[in-house]
This record gives sequence, C-alpha cells and structure tokens, in this order.
Amino acid sequence: MLNLIRCEFWKLKRKMFVQLVLAASFLFPIPLTAIIYYLNTAQDKYATKAAAFDALWQSVIGFGMLLLLPCILGIVAALLFFMERDNDTFKNLRTIPITSSQMVVAKCIVLLLFSVVFCISSTVASILCGFAFFGVTDVLFKILFSAVYGLLIAFSALPLVLLIVFFSRSYIFSIMLCVFYSVFNLLATFSMTALPKWLVLTLPTPSIMMWGTQQMASRIAVNDTEDLQNFIQMGLIPSTPQLIITLGLIGAVSLLLAVYLYKKRSE
Amino acid sequence: MSDYIIETHDLTKRYGNQISVSHLNIHVKKGRIYGLLGRNGAGKTTTMRMLLGLTAPTSGEVTIFGKHFQGNEKKILPRIGCLIESPGFYPNLTGTENLKIFATLRGLKNPKYIKNALELVNLPYRDKKLFSQYSLGMKQRLAIALAVMHNPELLILDEPINGLDPIGIAEVRDFIRELCDASGKTILISSHILSEISLLADDVGIIDHGKLLEEESLKELEAKNAKFIHFCVSDAQKAAQIITTTFSSKDIRLADANNLYLYNTTLPVAKINRSFIEAGIDIQEAHLCEDTLEDYFKKITGGEGIA
Ligand SMILES: Nc1ncnc2c1ncn2[C@@H]1O[C@H](COP(=O)(O)OP(=O)(O)O)[C@@H](O)[C@H]1O
Ligand SMILES: [Mg+2]
Repeated sequence: MLNLIRCEFWKLKRKMFVQLVLAASFLFPIPLTAIIYYLNTAQDKYATKAAAFDALWQSVIGFGMLLLLPCILGIVAALLFFMERDNDTFKNLRTIPITSSQMVVAKCIVLLLFSVVFCISSTVASILCGFAFFGVTDVLFKILFSAVYGLLIAFSALPLVLLIVFFSRSYIFSIMLCVFYSVFNLLATFSMTALPKWLVLTLPTPSIMMWGTQQMASRIAVNDTEDLQNFIQMGLIPSTPQLIITLGLIGAVSLLLAVYLYKKRSE
Repeated sequence: MSDYIIETHDLTKRYGNQISVSHLNIHVKKGRIYGLLGRNGAGKTTTMRMLLGLTAPTSGEVTIFGKHFQGNEKKILPRIGCLIESPGFYPNLTGTENLKIFATLRGLKNPKYIKNALELVNLPYRDKKLFSQYSLGMKQRLAIALAVMHNPELLILDEPINGLDPIGIAEVRDFIRELCDASGKTILISSHILSEISLLADDVGIIDHGKLLEEESLKELEAKNAKFIHFCVSDAQKAAQIITTTFSSKDIRLADANNLYLYNTTLPVAKINRSFIEAGIDIQEAHLCEDTLEDYFKKITGGEGIA
C-alpha cells in the first residue's frame, strides 16, 4: 500500500500539483489579512492583537478550508481518478495484479494528505500574516487543529469522490460538481437554524464547522459567543463521537460505492 | 493434468447481443509461440483480455499453468507479462519513470530490471523525453519492455508489432524468437498480419467472428497448401492439349490465352517444356508455385483479403 501511495505521487510529477495546492492555500489568508487589518485599525473592532489574529484564522477556516478546500479536493480527485481511464493504464495495473479497491484506497489517502497539507499550509500562511500585522498565540495548537480539520474535511469530501467516479465525465463537469457541492454545503451552513436538526447533524460541512468552533472556543477569542451559546442550546453542535460516527458512516458508504463503481468502469 | 500452459474451455464473451468470442477452445503448449490470427474485430483482443481477467467471460473457463484462472489471479498474474491493444502509460513521465512505477508495484526494487528491459527494446535508459513526446514505435517498444520487465514465464502480446517500422518489426520478431528459444518462455501472440504469424509462430489458431476455425502447427498448415506449376506460354490452349494427351493429366486449369496452371507436380517439367518447344509453343516462364497461406486464410475465413 505504501508503494501504491508513493506511485500516486510519482504520477503527479510535472503537473505542478503540490505547488498549486500550496499556492491555493495562500489565496484567502492574504486578502482576509487586509480586511481584518483594516477593521482593526480603522474601527478598532478587536480587543487585542491576538484576538484580531484569531478572527483572521477563523475566517481562513471558514472560507479557505470549508469552502475552497472541498472544491480543490474534488479537482484533485478528478485528476487522480481519471488518470488511469484517460491514459489507458488500468490494464497495466490490473495485470500486476492491483485490485480496484487498492487503487481507490490509495487515491483517497493521497487526497487526505493533500487535504491535511492544505489546511496546515493555510494556517501557516495566516500565521505568517499574523506575525506581520497582529499578535499570534498558541501556534502549535492551531497547527495541530488545522491538521485535524484537514482530516475531517477529507472525509467529508468522500461523497464528492463517489459522485465524480459515478459520473466519470469530463474535468469541467467534475469541477462544476465540486462547486455545486461546496455552495450547497455553505448554504446549509448559513441557513442552519432554519433546517431540520437531523439534516444539520448529518451534513458534513456544518457538522465540522460547529464541532470545530466549540472545540476551539476555550483556546481562542471567538467573536460571536452568543451565537455559539444559541447553537449549543439548539443541540446543533455534534459531540466528538457523534461527529466521528457521522463522517465515518458517510465516508465508508461513499468509499464502498466508489470502489464498486470504479471496478465496473474499469472493465 | 495437461502440459498446456493456457487452455480455454468454451470461452465465450457476449457484449449485449453481439457475440465477440464464441466457444473458444485454444491450447497453448509450453515453450512454444502460439499465433492467434484473425481479421480486425475477430475477437483476438477480447480473448486476451479474458485470459488476463481484464474482462469477465460470459461463460466458459480459462486454465493457466494448470490452475483455474478465476480465484488464482494473485498467483497466476505475476508470472505473466502482457501487452494489450495500445500502450497505456502516463504522458507526463519519461519512459524510465513509467517503468519505475510498474516495477515498484511489482516489487522489483533493483533498477537493473528497468535498464535491461529498455535495452532489450532499444530504448535509452534515463532519457529525458516524456512519454507524450514518444513516436508510435517508441510507445510500442516501451509497452513491450513493460511486458518483459519482470521476466515472466508466459507472454501474452496483442499485436505487438503495431506501429513499428520494418526494421523494428524484424528486431522485435528476432527478440521474441530469442525469448522463446533461449529462455524457454511460452508466448501467445496475436496479429491480423498473416506473414508475421507465419514467420514467427510454431502453432497457429485462426479465429474469425469469435470462432476458432483451425488450430494446428504451422508445419501442418503449410503442408495443406496446394503446390502447382505455372506456365506462361504463347498458346495456352495448345499447351493444355499436350499435357492432357501426352502426359495424361487432367489436373490443369487454363487461366487465359497465355497462362496455364498444372496441379500435378510429379510430372517431369523438363520433358513438358521440350514437348512445348517441339510443338512450336514459346515458353516465357515456368515455375513451381505454392498457394500462399494468405490464399488459404481467405479460403477458410471465406472473406476478402486481410488488411
Ligand atoms: N467493450 C466492448 N463493448 C462492446 N463491444 C466490444 C467491446 N470490446 C470489443 N467489442 C466487440 O467485439 C468484437 C471483437 O473485438 P476485438 O476482440 O477487439 O477484435 P480484434 O482484437 O480481433 O480486432 C468487435 O466486434 C468489437 O466491436
Ligand atoms: Mg485487437
């Protein structure tokens, strides 16, 4: 399996892939820094410099990790999963023999690594901006926490993998699918209070966001403490086991179906 | 059980209501080159895909190395090297990098395997050229290198000389022969080019519309072909008369006013010639001919010539 994962990375050689993902992780931290810097100096919105940085980091999580990352993961997944089909290399792999499930699992692990790298890199980017303009506290916690975020978001992107394998169409179509999935998740997050509770607790992105916010609350300065209290009272915040079970189930079902479909498509 | 390396029993593949391979029974003997000959769309690739488990048969069985293929894939496949249809590699990698991926997945750590395989097909090791920049012939060579890299006992090669130039074809032919003779490998090769099969194979299976029409050794196949003497003379009518009267043979065919075919090759040709000259017939040509395999192939597939 380790060899398979190594090979997946070799196959991406010359595609500038890692570099592009890292560049994408700087996409939000930079403009968000500018906005929060403005809010801080012009309107004096934050009590301390550390609080300003915490606000920056939270918006990076919101926009970069929860909104942008699923899109990026979808594109990476399309690239990984279409590779054998487009280059007609299934036959070379299957006759080694490598099974379809081994291929799917290897590709998903690569996806997970990309996700974690993106999240850590986002946080590092925010921290760099933070050192320049604000005050940064609790660096290690933030980096570790973003790694956990990367892991969770990778799981939440598994249904996307399933959709991409299912439609097995062009890259454009897959990208549209990813954008739709992200926007749908974002809408669900915004209209959380209006949606039925079971739906909020089963949709991956709102669950991750709510869980994350509560976990972080004690360590960083949260802007909207009242909102958080509200959500807790409404029971919209999943507990850790609850989150693991939800994401685990969604992930497992998606993965199994994806393996099944991938095998069928390769024949 | 049997000394066949590959044996199929009523192997059948149906796509929708089109039958691509129908009740195929082929027998590939150890240490020999088996040529699967058939026109485009005859079902050669489909057969080979089923032998490798790339496509599930609709019905029938495959036995390789004396084991049922299904359920023993993990044991059987590593002993096989294959090339199916067009070469499939990653375009953004060089040939060496491509082979490195498959070598790693096969558990071949030593770079020597890659180097040897590339040398065998005359491709440079550690070249900078990407696979996407390869010519068709180079791609095909790389695919052959991939098939032989892990030193398998059995090679299944689907139209391996596609896209190669004449010198390349001769090279590949020599080296396939060498693999069989020197290293005792068993080779199943398919082609729609009859001359290739007749130059290379020990045994031949002729497949058409998914059915195996003939299966025998090349020697037997060649023995079946008719031999005849072709006379090109000034007056074929008169010449035919002489043969029927003087040499009492009716085994002749008059093609036109100048061409005459004599199918009884035991007659004394020198004497016939002398009789012709004495009768005042000029002889432009007289030679012993053999029906080509191609004619035979046309006859049994009942079709036009093959591309
Ligand atoms: N995946 C497929 N779906 C439907 N028909 C197929 C498929 N693969 C092959 N065929 C059909 O099976 C027949 C045999 O094809 P093939 O085995 O590729 O022939 P050959 O390799 O001898 O040229 C052809 O008529 C082809 O159209
Ligand atoms: Mg073919």
